[in-house]
Amino acid sequence: MTALVVVEAVLLAVLVVLVAGLLRAYADVLRRLRELADGIAGSHSRQSAPAPFRVTPGLPEPAATEDDWPEAHDVAGVGPDGGVITLRTAGVEHDTALLFLSTGCASCATFWDELRRPLELTASTRVVVVTRGPEHEDPVEIAALAPPGIDVVLSTQAWSDYGVPGSPYVVLVAGATGRVRGEGTGQSWQQVHALLSRADGGAPAGAGATKPRADRERESDVDRELLAAGILPGDPSLYQVQALDQ
Amino acid sequence: MGIGPLEVNAHGLRALAPHPWEARLYRRDAPEVNQHGELAHPVLHLANFALPPGRGDFGTGAVEVMGPGHVFVSLLEFERAEAFRPLFAHRGVPRPRPSDFGANALQRRLPGQGGWQGFFTENGRPFCLYVVLGSLRQAHRLVPQVHGVLDELRIGAR
Repeated sequence: MTALVVVEAVLLAVLVVLVAGLLRAYADVLRRLRELADGIAGSHSRQSAPAPFRVTPGLPEPAATEDDWPEAHDVAGVGPDGGVITLRTAGVEHDTALLFLSTGCASCATFWDELRRPLELTASTRVVVVTRGPEHEDPVEIAALAPPGIDVVLSTQAWSDYGVPGSPYVVLVAGATGRVRGEGTGQSWQQVHALLSRADGGAPAGAGATKPRADRERESDVDRELLAAGILPGDPSLYQVQALDQ
Repeated sequence: MGIGPLEVNAHGLRALAPHPWEARLYRRDAPEVNQHGELAHPVLHLANFALPPGRGDFGTGAVEVMGPGHVFVSLLEFERAEAFRPLFAHRGVPRPRPSDFGANALQRRLPGQGGWQGFFTENGRPFCLYVVLGSLRQAHRLVPQVHGVLDELRIGAR
Protein backbone atom coordinates (compact mmCIF):
# COMPACT_ATOMS: atom_id res chain seq x y z
CA MET A 1 0.00 0.00 0.00
CA THR A 2 2.80 2.39 0.85
CA ALA A 3 4.54 1.54 -2.40
CA LEU A 4 1.36 2.34 -4.37
CA VAL A 5 1.08 5.75 -2.68
CA VAL A 6 4.70 6.49 -3.46
CA VAL A 7 4.24 5.56 -7.15
CA GLU A 8 1.12 7.73 -7.41
CA ALA A 9 2.94 10.63 -5.76
CA VAL A 10 5.80 10.31 -8.25
CA LEU A 11 3.40 10.17 -11.21
CA LEU A 12 1.55 13.19 -9.89
CA ALA A 13 4.78 15.11 -9.52
CA VAL A 14 5.78 14.20 -13.11
CA LEU A 15 2.36 15.31 -14.42
CA VAL A 16 2.64 18.59 -12.53
CA VAL A 17 6.04 19.21 -14.11
CA LEU A 18 4.69 18.38 -17.59
CA VAL A 19 1.64 20.62 -17.22
CA ALA A 20 3.80 23.45 -15.92
CA GLY A 21 6.11 23.05 -18.90
CA LEU A 22 3.21 23.10 -21.35
CA LEU A 23 1.71 26.21 -19.75
CA ARG A 24 5.08 27.93 -19.87
CA ALA A 25 5.58 27.07 -23.57
CA TYR A 26 2.07 28.30 -24.35
CA ALA A 27 2.75 31.57 -22.56
CA ASP A 28 6.00 31.95 -24.52
CA VAL A 29 4.14 31.47 -27.83
CA LEU A 30 1.52 34.05 -26.86
CA ARG A 31 4.22 36.51 -25.82
CA ARG A 32 6.06 36.12 -29.11
CA LEU A 33 2.85 36.50 -31.14
CA ARG A 34 2.09 39.72 -29.26
CA GLU A 35 5.61 41.02 -29.92
CA LEU A 36 5.19 40.20 -33.61
CA ALA A 37 1.84 41.99 -33.81
CA ASP A 38 3.26 45.01 -31.97
CA GLY A 39 6.22 45.09 -34.35
CA ILE A 40 4.05 45.12 -37.49
CA ALA A 41 1.77 47.76 -36.03
CA GLY A 42 4.80 49.85 -35.11
CA SER A 43 6.23 49.46 -38.60
CA HIS A 44 2.93 50.63 -40.14
CA SER A 45 2.77 53.62 -37.86
CA ARG A 46 6.32 54.64 -38.76
CA GLN A 47 5.75 54.22 -42.54
CA SER A 48 2.24 54.95 -43.83
CA ALA A 49 3.06 54.21 -47.51
CA PRO A 50 3.60 50.66 -48.71
CA ALA A 51 7.11 49.48 -49.41
CA PRO A 52 8.39 50.94 -52.70
CA PHE A 53 7.95 48.85 -55.84
CA ARG A 54 11.16 47.40 -57.18
CA VAL A 55 11.86 45.68 -60.47
CA THR A 56 14.66 43.34 -61.26
CA PRO A 57 17.93 45.24 -61.59
CA GLY A 58 18.64 46.04 -65.22
CA LEU A 59 15.01 46.52 -66.23
CA PRO A 60 13.61 50.05 -66.70
CA GLU A 61 11.63 51.33 -63.72
CA PRO A 62 8.04 52.36 -64.48
CA ALA A 63 7.51 56.11 -64.27
CA ALA A 64 5.25 57.38 -61.51
CA THR A 65 3.88 60.41 -63.36
CA GLU A 66 3.92 61.74 -66.90
CA ASP A 67 6.64 64.18 -65.89
CA ASP A 68 8.83 61.20 -65.08
CA TRP A 69 8.46 59.69 -68.57
CA PRO A 70 11.66 59.86 -70.58
CA GLU A 71 12.12 62.90 -72.78
CA ALA A 72 11.74 62.40 -76.51
CA HIS A 73 14.35 63.36 -79.06
CA ASP A 74 13.90 64.62 -82.58
CA VAL A 75 15.28 62.30 -85.23
CA ALA A 76 17.94 63.26 -87.73
CA GLY A 77 19.62 60.99 -90.24
CA VAL A 78 19.62 60.01 -93.87
CA GLY A 79 17.15 58.16 -96.01
CA PRO A 80 17.93 55.02 -98.00
CA ASP A 81 18.42 57.29 -101.04
CA GLY A 82 21.02 59.36 -99.19
CA GLY A 83 18.71 62.32 -98.61
CA VAL A 84 19.00 64.25 -95.35
CA ILE A 85 16.00 63.80 -93.05
CA THR A 86 15.01 65.65 -89.89
CA LEU A 87 11.82 64.74 -88.04
CA ARG A 88 10.15 66.45 -85.12
CA THR A 89 8.75 64.24 -82.39
CA ALA A 90 8.55 66.62 -79.43
CA GLY A 91 6.41 69.69 -78.97
CA VAL A 92 4.31 68.96 -82.04
CA GLU A 93 0.67 68.21 -82.73
CA HIS A 94 1.19 64.62 -83.83
CA ASP A 95 2.36 61.53 -81.97
CA THR A 96 5.18 59.44 -83.39
CA ALA A 97 5.68 55.68 -83.40
CA LEU A 98 9.38 55.00 -83.89
CA LEU A 99 10.04 51.45 -85.09
CA PHE A 100 13.67 50.54 -84.58
CA LEU A 101 14.36 47.76 -87.07
CA SER A 102 17.35 46.23 -88.77
CA THR A 103 17.98 44.08 -91.80
CA GLY A 104 19.77 41.37 -89.88
CA CYS A 105 17.27 40.34 -87.21
CA ALA A 106 14.83 37.57 -88.04
CA SER A 107 12.06 39.05 -85.89
CA CYS A 108 12.22 42.29 -87.87
CA ALA A 109 11.10 40.52 -91.05
CA THR A 110 7.55 40.31 -89.69
CA PHE A 111 7.55 44.05 -88.98
CA TRP A 112 8.90 44.95 -92.44
CA ASP A 113 6.16 42.81 -93.96
CA GLU A 114 3.38 44.21 -91.76
CA LEU A 115 4.37 47.78 -92.59
CA ARG A 116 3.45 47.19 -96.21
CA ARG A 117 -0.17 46.99 -95.15
CA PRO A 118 -2.27 49.82 -93.65
CA LEU A 119 -1.51 50.23 -89.97
CA GLU A 120 -4.11 50.48 -87.24
CA LEU A 121 -3.14 53.87 -85.91
CA THR A 122 -4.87 57.14 -85.36
CA ALA A 123 -4.48 59.69 -88.11
CA SER A 124 -2.44 61.89 -85.79
CA THR A 125 0.26 59.25 -85.29
CA ARG A 126 3.20 59.26 -87.67
CA VAL A 127 5.07 55.99 -88.13
CA VAL A 128 8.81 56.20 -88.73
CA VAL A 129 11.17 53.28 -89.24
CA VAL A 130 14.60 53.94 -87.78
CA THR A 131 17.56 51.72 -88.62
CA ARG A 132 21.17 52.16 -87.59
CA GLY A 133 23.19 54.49 -89.78
CA PRO A 134 24.94 53.68 -93.06
CA GLU A 135 28.04 52.65 -91.11
CA HIS A 136 26.04 49.65 -89.82
CA GLU A 137 23.35 49.08 -92.44
CA ASP A 138 23.39 48.82 -96.23
CA PRO A 139 21.16 51.60 -97.62
CA VAL A 140 20.44 49.54 -100.74
CA GLU A 141 19.15 46.69 -98.62
CA ILE A 142 17.09 49.11 -96.53
CA ALA A 143 15.65 50.66 -99.70
CA ALA A 144 14.50 47.22 -100.85
CA LEU A 145 12.69 46.64 -97.54
CA ALA A 146 11.38 50.18 -97.08
CA PRO A 147 7.58 50.14 -97.09
CA PRO A 148 5.88 52.69 -99.33
CA GLY A 149 4.33 55.67 -97.58
CA ILE A 150 6.47 55.43 -94.45
CA ASP A 151 9.57 57.44 -93.63
CA VAL A 152 12.69 55.33 -93.16
CA VAL A 153 15.62 57.02 -91.44
CA LEU A 154 19.11 55.62 -90.98
CA SER A 155 20.29 57.13 -87.71
CA THR A 156 22.61 55.56 -85.17
CA GLN A 157 22.18 58.70 -83.08
CA ALA A 158 18.46 58.01 -82.66
CA TRP A 159 19.22 54.49 -81.39
CA SER A 160 21.55 56.04 -78.85
CA ASP A 161 19.15 58.85 -77.88
CA TYR A 162 16.35 56.40 -77.12
CA GLY A 163 18.59 53.76 -75.53
CA VAL A 164 17.34 51.06 -77.86
CA PRO A 165 18.51 47.68 -76.49
CA GLY A 166 18.02 45.82 -79.78
CA SER A 167 15.67 45.31 -82.67
CA PRO A 168 12.79 45.12 -83.13
CA TYR A 169 11.90 47.86 -80.65
CA VAL A 170 9.06 50.35 -80.69
CA VAL A 171 8.91 53.73 -78.98
CA LEU A 172 5.71 55.76 -78.87
CA VAL A 173 6.25 59.49 -78.39
CA ALA A 174 3.50 61.85 -77.29
CA GLY A 175 4.05 64.93 -79.42
CA ALA A 176 2.21 67.35 -77.16
CA THR A 177 4.25 66.53 -74.06
CA GLY A 178 7.47 65.52 -75.80
CA ARG A 179 7.64 62.42 -73.62
CA VAL A 180 7.97 58.71 -74.35
CA ARG A 181 4.53 57.29 -73.67
CA GLY A 182 5.46 53.66 -74.12
CA GLU A 183 8.17 51.41 -75.43
CA GLY A 184 8.83 47.74 -75.85
CA THR A 185 9.34 44.87 -78.18
CA GLY A 186 7.41 41.90 -79.47
CA GLN A 187 7.06 39.38 -82.24
CA SER A 188 4.93 41.59 -84.47
CA TRP A 189 3.69 45.13 -84.86
CA GLN A 190 0.16 44.00 -83.99
CA GLN A 191 1.40 42.59 -80.70
CA VAL A 192 3.46 45.63 -79.80
CA HIS A 193 0.69 48.00 -80.79
CA ALA A 194 -1.78 46.14 -78.59
CA LEU A 195 0.59 46.39 -75.63
CA LEU A 196 1.15 50.09 -76.21
CA SER A 197 -2.58 50.66 -76.50
CA ARG A 198 -3.21 48.94 -73.17
CA ALA A 199 -0.42 50.91 -71.55
CA ASP A 200 -2.06 54.05 -72.87
CA GLY A 201 -5.38 53.09 -71.33
CA GLY A 202 -7.03 52.61 -74.68
CA ALA A 203 -8.49 49.58 -76.30
CA PRO A 204 -6.00 47.24 -77.87
CA ALA A 205 -5.77 47.11 -81.60
CA GLY A 206 -8.37 44.79 -82.94
CA ALA A 207 -10.67 45.13 -79.94
CA GLY A 208 -14.28 46.04 -80.43
CA ALA A 209 -15.89 46.45 -83.80
CA THR A 210 -13.11 46.72 -86.34
CA LYS A 211 -13.33 46.52 -90.07
CA PRO A 212 -11.80 43.68 -92.01
CA ARG A 213 -8.36 44.47 -93.38
CA ALA A 214 -9.64 44.38 -96.97
CA ASP A 215 -12.12 47.14 -96.15
CA ARG A 216 -9.46 49.30 -94.54
CA GLU A 217 -7.15 48.82 -97.51
CA ARG A 218 -9.97 49.68 -99.92
CA GLU A 219 -10.83 52.83 -97.98
CA SER A 220 -7.18 53.80 -97.88
CA ASP A 221 -6.93 53.39 -101.66
CA VAL A 222 -10.08 55.44 -102.23
CA ASP A 223 -8.85 58.23 -99.93
CA ARG A 224 -5.53 58.32 -101.77
CA GLU A 225 -7.26 58.54 -105.15
CA LEU A 226 -9.58 61.30 -103.95
CA LEU A 227 -6.69 63.31 -102.51
CA ALA A 228 -4.74 62.89 -105.73
CA ALA A 229 -7.74 64.26 -107.61
CA GLY A 230 -7.89 67.26 -105.28
CA ILE A 231 -11.08 66.13 -103.55
CA LEU A 232 -10.77 66.82 -99.85
CA PRO A 233 -13.04 65.88 -96.94
CA GLY A 234 -16.19 67.97 -97.12
CA ASP A 235 -15.96 68.52 -100.87
CA PRO A 236 -19.50 69.18 -102.21
CA SER A 237 -18.99 66.70 -105.04
CA LEU A 238 -18.96 63.91 -102.45
CA TYR A 239 -22.54 64.64 -101.53
CA GLN A 240 -24.15 65.18 -104.93
CA VAL A 241 -26.93 62.77 -105.77
CA GLN A 242 -27.68 62.12 -109.43
CA ALA A 243 -31.34 62.23 -110.39
CA LEU A 244 -32.63 58.80 -111.31
CA ASP A 245 -34.60 58.29 -114.47
CA GLN A 246 -38.20 57.71 -113.61
CA MET B 1 14.18 67.38 -75.83
CA GLY B 2 13.70 68.47 -79.42
CA ILE B 3 12.93 72.14 -79.23
CA GLY B 4 16.14 73.42 -80.77
CA PRO B 5 16.76 74.05 -84.46
CA LEU B 6 17.46 71.09 -86.70
CA GLU B 7 20.20 71.48 -89.28
CA VAL B 8 20.42 70.00 -92.73
CA ASN B 9 23.67 70.46 -94.56
CA ALA B 10 24.53 68.84 -97.89
CA HIS B 11 25.10 69.63 -101.56
CA GLY B 12 26.23 73.14 -100.70
CA LEU B 13 22.97 73.94 -98.95
CA ARG B 14 22.60 74.56 -95.24
CA ALA B 15 19.33 75.28 -93.49
CA LEU B 16 18.28 75.57 -89.88
CA ALA B 17 14.74 74.50 -89.15
CA PRO B 18 13.47 76.19 -85.97
CA HIS B 19 11.01 74.32 -83.80
CA PRO B 20 8.54 72.98 -84.91
CA TRP B 21 9.86 73.10 -88.47
CA GLU B 22 11.48 70.05 -90.02
CA ALA B 23 13.45 69.60 -93.22
CA ARG B 24 14.33 67.15 -95.99
CA LEU B 25 17.17 67.57 -98.45
CA TYR B 26 17.46 65.13 -101.33
CA ARG B 27 18.51 64.87 -104.93
CA ARG B 28 15.91 64.82 -107.66
CA ASP B 29 17.49 61.76 -109.22
CA ALA B 30 20.02 59.22 -108.17
CA PRO B 31 22.81 58.67 -109.02
CA GLU B 32 24.36 62.12 -109.26
CA VAL B 33 24.45 62.06 -113.08
CA ASN B 34 21.17 61.09 -114.70
CA GLN B 35 20.60 59.33 -118.01
CA HIS B 36 20.95 62.61 -119.91
CA GLY B 37 24.34 63.25 -118.42
CA GLU B 38 22.95 66.08 -116.30
CA LEU B 39 23.71 66.58 -112.67
CA ALA B 40 20.97 65.56 -110.29
CA HIS B 41 20.08 68.74 -108.45
CA PRO B 42 19.13 69.00 -104.80
CA VAL B 43 15.69 69.82 -103.48
CA LEU B 44 15.15 71.25 -100.00
CA HIS B 45 11.80 70.96 -98.27
CA LEU B 46 11.00 72.87 -95.09
CA ALA B 47 7.69 72.82 -93.25
CA ASN B 48 6.24 73.68 -89.87
CA PHE B 49 4.23 70.45 -89.86
CA ALA B 50 4.95 66.74 -90.23
CA LEU B 51 6.15 66.28 -93.80
CA PRO B 52 4.60 63.11 -95.23
CA PRO B 53 6.76 60.74 -97.27
CA GLY B 54 6.42 60.44 -101.01
CA ARG B 55 6.13 64.14 -101.74
CA GLY B 56 6.57 65.73 -105.13
CA ASP B 57 9.28 68.33 -105.59
CA PHE B 58 6.66 71.08 -105.39
CA GLY B 59 4.99 69.58 -102.36
CA THR B 60 2.33 67.35 -103.88
CA GLY B 61 1.36 64.95 -101.14
CA ALA B 62 2.20 67.49 -98.44
CA VAL B 63 0.03 70.50 -99.34
CA GLU B 64 -3.07 68.31 -99.16
CA VAL B 65 -2.58 67.70 -95.44
CA MET B 66 -1.74 71.30 -94.53
CA GLY B 67 -3.77 73.13 -91.93
CA PRO B 68 -4.44 76.86 -91.89
CA GLY B 69 -1.38 77.61 -89.76
CA HIS B 70 0.99 75.51 -91.83
CA VAL B 71 3.73 76.61 -94.21
CA PHE B 72 5.57 74.60 -96.86
CA VAL B 73 8.79 75.80 -98.51
CA SER B 74 10.53 74.13 -101.44
CA LEU B 75 13.89 75.17 -102.84
CA LEU B 76 14.81 73.57 -106.15
CA GLU B 77 18.09 73.98 -107.98
CA PHE B 78 18.23 74.15 -111.76
CA GLU B 79 20.92 73.67 -114.40
CA ARG B 80 23.84 75.99 -113.91
CA ALA B 81 23.44 77.29 -117.48
CA GLU B 82 20.02 78.64 -116.46
CA ALA B 83 21.71 81.17 -114.19
CA PHE B 84 22.34 83.41 -117.16
CA ARG B 85 18.70 83.52 -118.23
CA PRO B 86 16.58 86.54 -117.31
CA LEU B 87 14.27 84.37 -115.24
CA PHE B 88 17.06 83.85 -112.71
CA ALA B 89 18.39 87.42 -112.85
CA HIS B 90 17.56 88.15 -109.20
CA ARG B 91 20.64 87.79 -107.00
CA GLY B 92 20.27 86.38 -103.50
CA VAL B 93 17.41 84.59 -101.74
CA PRO B 94 14.25 86.68 -102.22
CA ARG B 95 11.83 87.50 -99.40
CA PRO B 96 8.20 87.35 -100.51
CA ARG B 97 5.72 89.83 -99.04
CA PRO B 98 2.28 88.77 -97.82
CA SER B 99 0.70 90.60 -100.74
CA ASP B 100 2.76 88.51 -103.18
CA PHE B 101 0.85 85.35 -102.32
CA GLY B 102 -2.18 84.22 -104.24
CA ALA B 103 -4.19 81.17 -105.21
CA ASN B 104 -3.07 81.45 -108.83
CA ALA B 105 0.54 80.75 -107.90
CA LEU B 106 -0.31 77.36 -106.44
CA GLN B 107 0.97 74.32 -108.27
CA ARG B 108 -1.94 72.46 -106.80
CA ARG B 109 -4.90 74.70 -106.13
CA LEU B 110 -6.52 73.91 -102.81
CA PRO B 111 -9.20 75.94 -101.01
CA GLY B 112 -7.88 78.72 -98.80
CA GLN B 113 -4.22 78.19 -99.60
CA GLY B 114 -1.91 80.76 -101.10
CA GLY B 115 1.30 80.29 -103.05
CA TRP B 116 4.29 82.23 -104.30
CA GLN B 117 7.13 81.32 -106.60
CA GLY B 118 10.40 83.18 -107.10
CA PHE B 119 13.54 82.55 -109.12
CA PHE B 120 17.02 83.69 -108.22
CA THR B 121 20.73 82.94 -108.46
CA GLU B 122 23.13 82.59 -105.55
CA ASN B 123 26.81 81.73 -105.90
CA GLY B 124 26.25 81.03 -109.57
CA ARG B 125 23.54 78.48 -108.78
CA PRO B 126 20.01 79.08 -110.15
CA PHE B 127 17.10 78.24 -107.86
CA CYS B 128 13.33 78.27 -107.70
CA LEU B 129 11.83 79.10 -104.31
CA TYR B 130 8.24 77.94 -103.90
CA VAL B 131 6.19 78.70 -100.79
CA VAL B 132 2.68 77.54 -99.86
CA LEU B 133 0.69 79.05 -97.00
CA GLY B 134 -2.03 76.94 -95.41
CA SER B 135 -4.25 80.00 -95.24
CA LEU B 136 -3.95 82.99 -97.52
CA ARG B 137 -5.90 85.00 -94.95
CA GLN B 138 -3.14 84.40 -92.41
CA ALA B 139 -0.37 85.53 -94.75
CA HIS B 140 0.66 88.42 -92.46
CA ARG B 141 1.20 85.94 -89.62
CA LEU B 142 2.80 83.15 -91.65
CA VAL B 143 5.14 85.05 -93.98
CA PRO B 144 7.41 86.25 -91.14
CA GLN B 145 7.94 82.56 -90.30
CA VAL B 146 9.06 82.01 -93.89
CA HIS B 147 11.47 84.93 -93.63
CA GLY B 148 12.88 83.50 -90.42
CA VAL B 149 13.70 80.22 -92.16
CA LEU B 150 15.09 81.93 -95.26
CA ASP B 151 17.32 84.12 -93.07
CA GLU B 152 19.09 80.96 -91.91
CA LEU B 153 19.48 79.51 -95.39
CA ARG B 154 23.04 79.38 -96.69
CA ILE B 155 23.88 78.55 -100.31
CA GLY B 156 27.49 77.79 -101.03
CA ALA B 157 29.31 76.74 -104.16
CA ARG B 158 28.84 73.11 -105.15
